[in-house]
Amino acid sequence: MTDQGMIGAVAVVGGGISGMQAALDLADSGFFVYLVEKTGAIGGAMPQYNKVFPTNDCAMCIISPKLVECGRHPNIRIMTLTTVVDINGRAGAFTVRVLEHPRYVDPAKCIACGQCSSHCPQSVDDSFNILMAERKAIYIKYPQAVPLKYQIDPQACLRLNQPGACGICAEICPPGAVDFADRGQEHNLRVGAVVMALGFQPFDPGKTRAWGYGLYPNVVTSLQFERFLSPGGPTGGALVRPSDHRPVQRMAFLQCVGSRDKNRCNNEYCSTVCCMSAVKEAMTVKEASPEVEVTIFYIDMRTPGKEFERYFEQARTEYGIRFVRSRVHGIEPKGQKGDLRLRYINAFGKQVEETVDLVVLSVGLETPDATVRLAEKIGIHMTPDRFASISAFAPVHTSLKGIFTCGAFNGPRDIPQAVIGGSAAAASVAALLHPVRHTLTRTLPPPPERDVSGQEPRIGVFVCHCGTNTAGVVDVDAVAAYAATLPQVAHVARNLFTCAQDTQDLMAQQIRENGLNRIVVASCTPRTHEPLFRKTLKSAGINEYLIEMANIRNQNAWVHSQEPAAATAKAKDLVRMAVAKVSRQTARKPLRIPIAPSVLVIGGGVAGMTSALNLAEQGYRIHLIEKTNQLGGNALHLYQTWSGENVPRFLKGLKEAVQQHPQIEVSYSSTVATVGGHVGDFTSLIRTGPNRKRTIDHGAVIIATGAKRYIPEEFEYGKIPKVVAAIEFDKLHMHNEARVANGKSFVFIQCVGSRNQQRPYCSKSCCTHSIQSAIKLKKEAPDRRIYILHREISTYGQRERIYNQAREMGIVFINYEQHGPPQIRKSDNNGGVLVEVWDHVLHRPLEIRADMVILATATLANPEAAALASMFKLPLNRDGFFQEAHAKLRPVEFHVDGVFVAGLAHYPKPLEESITQALAAAAKAGRLLARKEIAQEPTIALIDRQRCDDCALCVDVCPYQAIRLTEYKDQDGVVRKAVTVEHVACTGCGICQGTCPKRGIDVAGFTTAQIEVQIDAALAAAPMAEGAA
Amino acid sequence: MIYEAKVNELAEEFGVHRNTIRNWINSGVLPAQEGPGRRYLIQWEDYRRLCDKYGREPRFMPDPEARADAPAAPHSPAAPGQIPVRLDVRASALDASPGQINICLTCGSCAGACPISGVDGFDPRKIVRMAFLGLEDELTASGWQWKCTLCGKCEAVCPMKVEIVQLLRRIRARCDRDKVPAAIRKGVATCLEKGNNLGIPKDDFLALVRELGEELARTSCPGFVAPIDVRGARLLLTVNSKQPFAEPEAMTWWWKILHAAGESWTISSEYWEGINWGLHVGDYGAMRTIVKRIIDNIERLNCTALLLPECGHAYYATRYALERWFPEALQQFRIYTVFDLLLEYLNEGKIRLDPAVQTKLTTFHDSCYYGRHSVEAFGHGYFEEARALTRACCKRYVDLVPDREENYCCGSGSSAWADPYRVERVYHGRIKARQISASNARLVVTACLNCRDQIRYSLNSEFNLNVEVQFLWELVANALVMTPPAAMEARRD
Repeated sequence: MTDQGMIGAVAVVGGGISGMQAALDLADSGFFVYLVEKTGAIGGAMPQYNKVFPTNDCAMCIISPKLVECGRHPNIRIMTLTTVVDINGRAGAFTVRVLEHPRYVDPAKCIACGQCSSHCPQSVDDSFNILMAERKAIYIKYPQAVPLKYQIDPQACLRLNQPGACGICAEICPPGAVDFADRGQEHNLRVGAVVMALGFQPFDPGKTRAWGYGLYPNVVTSLQFERFLSPGGPTGGALVRPSDHRPVQRMAFLQCVGSRDKNRCNNEYCSTVCCMSAVKEAMTVKEASPEVEVTIFYIDMRTPGKEFERYFEQARTEYGIRFVRSRVHGIEPKGQKGDLRLRYINAFGKQVEETVDLVVLSVGLETPDATVRLAEKIGIHMTPDRFASISAFAPVHTSLKGIFTCGAFNGPRDIPQAVIGGSAAAASVAALLHPVRHTLTRTLPPPPERDVSGQEPRIGVFVCHCGTNTAGVVDVDAVAAYAATLPQVAHVARNLFTCAQDTQDLMAQQIRENGLNRIVVASCTPRTHEPLFRKTLKSAGINEYLIEMANIRNQNAWVHSQEPAAATAKAKDLVRMAVAKVSRQTARKPLRIPIAPSVLVIGGGVAGMTSALNLAEQGYRIHLIEKTNQLGGNALHLYQTWSGENVPRFLKGLKEAVQQHPQIEVSYSSTVATVGGHVGDFTSLIRTGPNRKRTIDHGAVIIATGAKRYIPEEFEYGKIPKVVAAIEFDKLHMHNEARVANGKSFVFIQCVGSRNQQRPYCSKSCCTHSIQSAIKLKKEAPDRRIYILHREISTYGQRERIYNQAREMGIVFINYEQHGPPQIRKSDNNGGVLVEVWDHVLHRPLEIRADMVILATATLANPEAAALASMFKLPLNRDGFFQEAHAKLRPVEFHVDGVFVAGLAHYPKPLEESITQALAAAAKAGRLLARKEIAQEPTIALIDRQRCDDCALCVDVCPYQAIRLTEYKDQDGVVRKAVTVEHVACTGCGICQGTCPKRGIDVAGFTTAQIEVQIDAALAAAPMAEGAA
Repeated sequence: MIYEAKVNELAEEFGVHRNTIRNWINSGVLPAQEGPGRRYLIQWEDYRRLCDKYGREPRFMPDPEARADAPAAPHSPAAPGQIPVRLDVRASALDASPGQINICLTCGSCAGACPISGVDGFDPRKIVRMAFLGLEDELTASGWQWKCTLCGKCEAVCPMKVEIVQLLRRIRARCDRDKVPAAIRKGVATCLEKGNNLGIPKDDFLALVRELGEELARTSCPGFVAPIDVRGARLLLTVNSKQPFAEPEAMTWWWKILHAAGESWTISSEYWEGINWGLHVGDYGAMRTIVKRIIDNIERLNCTALLLPECGHAYYATRYALERWFPEALQQFRIYTVFDLLLEYLNEGKIRLDPAVQTKLTTFHDSCYYGRHSVEAFGHGYFEEARALTRACCKRYVDLVPDREENYCCGSGSSAWADPYRVERVYHGRIKARQISASNARLVVTACLNCRDQIRYSLNSEFNLNVEVQFLWELVANALVMTPPAAMEARRD
């Protein structure tokens, strides 16, 4: 296709985390984005969650910066209360017809003062707090909503339902923003591509009375329970029974409500996220109230993600959460006081009855009917489970060219998978539309910056309540009052949520009005929030580095929640220290670095090839290096995806596309010998074969070095020839070798080398793989007896379909526990193998005469990862896989800029997840390269020429080789040596500063002088309670 | 070791009423000696046996230290003394239609829901598993199939819709005939041989009916004549042989309603039995024969509608057989449920009901065959109809929790009332008894003879329920506003 008529804009439909990520990646890659959201604010489901697994981060806290980033982005236009009516056109040039429903509040005028809401006489159920709290008819979705503009609920509003009634909001609104005459409007968006991130809805358990939902007040859904746990929720985070507000003492989680069920609902698939979500919620309960008895009732605990298994183990062993493998059939009330009775069958096969205070139904995820109808109208193919039908090989592509898809619309998934999908969709759009990149985007000139260097510090202190996160423990009023007494503090303000967009605007206004030139934000961690506040400083016209954060939440309120008085005193200390430090803060300028428009991709497996091909299609130059002499990696051993697609054929096509692409240069038998440089300007030495070396310059790196397989030591592997590993079995099966061809009885053993003490992680793809092999065997000869001995069957998502299929075909699944693995011995007579295993239902041992035993072996980290990690200064997790920057929101990035990871190098995963992640990594690299030039943090070591005597002690300790001793000639022509810092290589780690005996080198923003005043402030007399001083 | 226990402690432990414990002790199910202070002395071994019977962990061990050494979970293949089950290569004989039981997830929903899980090792999940793994002989010999009331609670909660009830029916059918409990085996034989389960002679039956009719005419329905073999009547009514045998006046409630409604109806002088135990013994030949007799009666008497008033299973078995073997007959006449017919009368104004007559707090117990089984087999369960009728006859109504599809069986369904497993039946009924007493209802209404007898005679005494139990038609008959014939005529004009 030519670029004639292509449009450099994209419609992203759905403003949840996946859509937001796609929008941000696209907008930063040179495309104008319409972010179409059906509710009044973006954010999707994530803001409703209290915490996220397995990091236990506060969900609102980590999504908030992204919300604000979307809200502020000059190339993202957020269209709220807007739904898609129809899509016409072709890839490159679509017309998206959307309907913007009336908000009845003019967003241009609304200042979100909240007076309307406080005067509104009409209260209705608050859907954000899921029927557990009320809101007014005029409302904002949640306090941190973006855009922070009020909206009127037309169903609830008195005036809209009866002309002439009420109307008080319009009367009192200071800017006169309320407009009852607002009408819906249709718009036609002209875009080159569409990303469908339509999201999910939680299953409604009220559809069947058995769950007691809606009948008994103490039965809540997992999403409601998130609101219970949330400090911003209806109970302010207190765990009490809805019926009588008594503290909860015994509670139970019921898994698979609305999932894996074709009787009470038609959701045969596994919802993927609920096991981990329940573990997380249970841990949150236990952290706050260790005395609460928490039980999770489940069929399989599916913990196949990275660090999930450890999290689960921790919940079981350290937190004392009870896990019972038994699905509870329903809930019955006990007595009149709200107690609930559960009856279940325990591990011994005995029926047990228990009474609990509270039941949490772990409800599944499903696609709303309206979404299904929209998909049908547009012509997007759907699966029988009512999700977008996607190929494993094109995991963010719908059946229509130019229309992409991500998030839970592609099947139930957790936040990282949604974020990865969003980025992957962005990469796919960028490949399609790259000829019209930067044709519709605009750049805002930076606001003029006030020079404050000569001025006395005028410090502004902003104290954040963080809802009740901080204010529930710390007396923020007292902290603010105390801050006002500190020297040079000119202005103090308190905010409910400092990171909310309206507060940011207010902050900028206060900085300008009060002529502030140093800012302290007493809130949370700079790791997640400093970039946001720095942008605010910028917009207020002062240098963005004149800020200091005092972490009075994570390091104070959260850890000292039992001692409010001491926590308040500590908050004052932290604020005093921050004020002292910020007074010595100086303006800095980011370093501008040009970016080389090429990428080094390490690893020629599917992930590496996918990244390479996408980036090449985006127009960048790619160096793909592969350590063996052929492309393909681990996928060379695969025959089909879980949905039965042919892998060898796909691989052949992908290899050819990579080999033939003019922008891709493939180096075989090659490895990275050394790496120099930094983001935008890496220089790597590539060793090819035994003696060829060459240097490559590149702007970014994608690590896709794959994984290797575990060679088992257990189950008589290597001793009995009929015991083989899965990968070997596939080969034998492929060639219909005699052992397979004549076999009548096959036993698969799962979790061989995985999920044990040595490797406490799930290898993710083995359950699916064994089931597929078993189905194939059974199809070839239906009289074959096939047994799968498993610990948990982890056929997450729509893979559940093949698990169901396997059982329907008569394949026997036997659940063994880690402490009672199957026993294997040679059969005395006919040369078979005897497998003895305890049956989890009969509670009796079973003996199976097997013709072959197939071991589903673990996937191990590539042992070469360690060397690569140390070269690039990247962390590995405890299992040897690359550790991404943030498990939830930065799943392919590292703290080292310009380096990305994809595929098995990150964690074991099936093919489509590798491909998605590879596309996501390509999106990140493409987004970087699209900017042509980047600004690097100037938090770097600077030499004080007055003090430095060029002793060069710092040169040796610098782990980044950023400090050198350079020779120069002085005025007299004498050759001298001087210590110099290569700014772009410096990461600001401060080792040099600690080493220097002369105070001759300082990290900007953390100078010795600053740290001194900070320490002095820390040691200064602690503020006493009033009256005691 | 001797173990001292109080009745109420044991009752709580086993989830039954104190009376049940006393009955166990009195009947020797639990050998115990009366001790001082209203306590009982029990041999630990006897207590242990009781725990085993009801699938419970003993709360006390003879040696308190022994517990600590017990395995955390029974998952060791090397368990001493256990001979492994050798899995056979052949397919299970019980697995008649692939996918029905194979699909089991082994999630345990059924076993958790079943009121008699644990009793003598009974466990629906285990039964499905054994059938799947080919242990059908062991299964057939277990006797579990007779202790199960086929109530279908297990199936209703199964996420995979495993047809557990069908499986148990197949196990019943597979049983050697001499292993079938005597009462129902003989009932079927007698019915085939003599036309009704109890072998009541034709003359005795006709005399009784005539006499009852005269009595009814005298007391409340002037001009009533019991219609026997009335050709051209619209509705054919069957009879449960237990009623003419044991409580003949129970038949007249229906007669009274039919009379009040001005129905044209009849009873056949032969083959009037509606009960069909062929369903319960798994003898489909017998089931078919009994239904065929009813069809013949309808044809002979030229009726256009059929009512089987006695019991949920009679309706279910007959309709099931009609749909399966005689679909053409269903074109000739309509089969009513008691609910359909009563609601029709009520809605068309043929009968009038006075709710003020019944002042007790009233509840309705859903029988499995009119409820879950009808939903499963015929696509509709008679939940709302039953409540509408009951509410029309009483002032105060309360639902049992749970009810409708989630209802618990009374404990005597599918021939259990007639079977010799009395203690199991009572134990099964403990949940029903608990539901009734939690509802505070003083009157329980049912539409099934088994449910009514179990609650009225067995649960009432075992669990001190002190509730009145009535048939739905008994309730309706008592609430009838009997309009004088003259007024009736006037109303029709």
